[in-house]
Amino acid sequence: MAKEVVRYRKATRALHHVHTAAFVVLFLTGLVLFIPQLGFLAQGGWTRLLHRIAAVIFVVAPVLYVLFNWEAAKKGIKEAFTWGAEDLNWLKAAPGYYFFNDESKMPPQGHMNTGQKMWWFIVLVFGALFVLTGIFMWFLKDVLPAASFQWMVFVHDVAFIVTGCMLFVHIYLGVIHPLMTEAWKSITKGTVSAEYAQSHHGKWFKEASKKKPKGA
Amino acid sequence: MATAILYDSTRCTACRACQVACKQWNELEVEETTNRGTYENPPDLSANTRMKIKFTEVPKNVGIDWLFTRRACMHCTDASCVKVCPSGALFYDGRDGFVAYDRDLCTGCGYCVEFCPFDVPRTERNVITGLSTMNKCTFCTTPGLNRIEAGEKPACVTTCPTGALLYDDRDKLVAIGKQRVQTLKTAGSNNANLFGETELNGLHVLYVLEDSPDAYGLPVDPKVPGVAIAWKDVIQPLGWIMGGVTIVGLGLNYLVARQAKIRKEQTVKKEE
Repeated sequence: MAKEVVRYRKATRALHHVHTAAFVVLFLTGLVLFIPQLGFLAQGGWTRLLHRIAAVIFVVAPVLYVLFNWEAAKKGIKEAFTWGAEDLNWLKAAPGYYFFNDESKMPPQGHMNTGQKMWWFIVLVFGALFVLTGIFMWFLKDVLPAASFQWMVFVHDVAFIVTGCMLFVHIYLGVIHPLMTEAWKSITKGTVSAEYAQSHHGKWFKEASKKKPKGA
Repeated sequence: MATAILYDSTRCTACRACQVACKQWNELEVEETTNRGTYENPPDLSANTRMKIKFTEVPKNVGIDWLFTRRACMHCTDASCVKVCPSGALFYDGRDGFVAYDRDLCTGCGYCVEFCPFDVPRTERNVITGLSTMNKCTFCTTPGLNRIEAGEKPACVTTCPTGALLYDDRDKLVAIGKQRVQTLKTAGSNNANLFGETELNGLHVLYVLEDSPDAYGLPVDPKVPGVAIAWKDVIQPLGWIMGGVTIVGLGLNYLVARQAKIRKEQTVKKEE
């Protein structure tokens, strides 16, 4: 059997699934306010109650993760803000690869490739915007001047559109794209084959194989 | 045809019979209030008070003058609340053009509360669950309590004992209002004006005022907030386009990428 490389630890996977579930609920209960034809589903406001329950999970889950996995969280957050010339080369080569299976120009990637980093960056920045504007809309509605509240709704909606579209891309690349054969496995079982790691995350694979793998 | 209510502040004695009639007809609960040192009561609009008379006290050499205003939905032609309402609970009445409201459709989001240039809609909101429904004047067209459909005037108008409230064809009321302003000007009220003729493309509640609107605490030049326009007319259509392009793009990518993969596999096989 081919050698397996650990890609996401159990805690990271758990956070991913809980956060995704919360976000999907938030997305759908928000969508009914975005599409007027679906507005009837929000009658009585039960979708807004669900939205709040999911919002609590959306905030509490990463907070717990950060508290108990401080080192991993620090490393992860740093990753989202580390960009270099290689990322530009990746962006140039990406259409050729993701459309035409041309891997020749793809620079070797670290633990996250540029595309994953972009998504991760969006998750962090827009996640923060969501939470911040959401807190104002939920708890400070009566204190906040109307003009400020209006901007909160506006920013919340912009974040909804950006992250909503990117969520489609994320799900597509994770589960549907013909070449991402082990992305789903990496987030459910936590491992990918050495072969996949080498071709998709060459730089990371090199570094990871230098270290003694822990119980892998 | 559009109908409207004309409120003549100079004929109003603030008897507040309209407030009572509104509550009675629309089956709105009474609120217990405390003495705040003014005859004005209740202190503010609420989910159970759709209209009230506001007292503005203007100091005179001796004592004070009262400026009375009617606080209730102004039924704008360009209504911010209709623009931001996500569920269609707020909508323009097809025949008369005022802002109708179907409380059964309300999701309780409260956007109308924050976007109304007149600060009129009110909610009763549970801060933790966020559950709430809004309430505001419906021109007495609440289903089951529809006076207009029955050929009646709104309850407040029917009750008014001094003729300060009129309900009629809007054009007719504009003419009456203008004439009244002229009379007031001749009598020495130089600032007399008709509020609501052109504001927000014409309000369905017109005010005859003997002083400038801001003396009554009314916005001088009410506007649909710029954020509402940027949000509803720019960002949300862009959102639809972005969402559509994303989904179509991903579909196309799948078709192309799958073909490319199959072709590559075939070449590899041939080489072998």
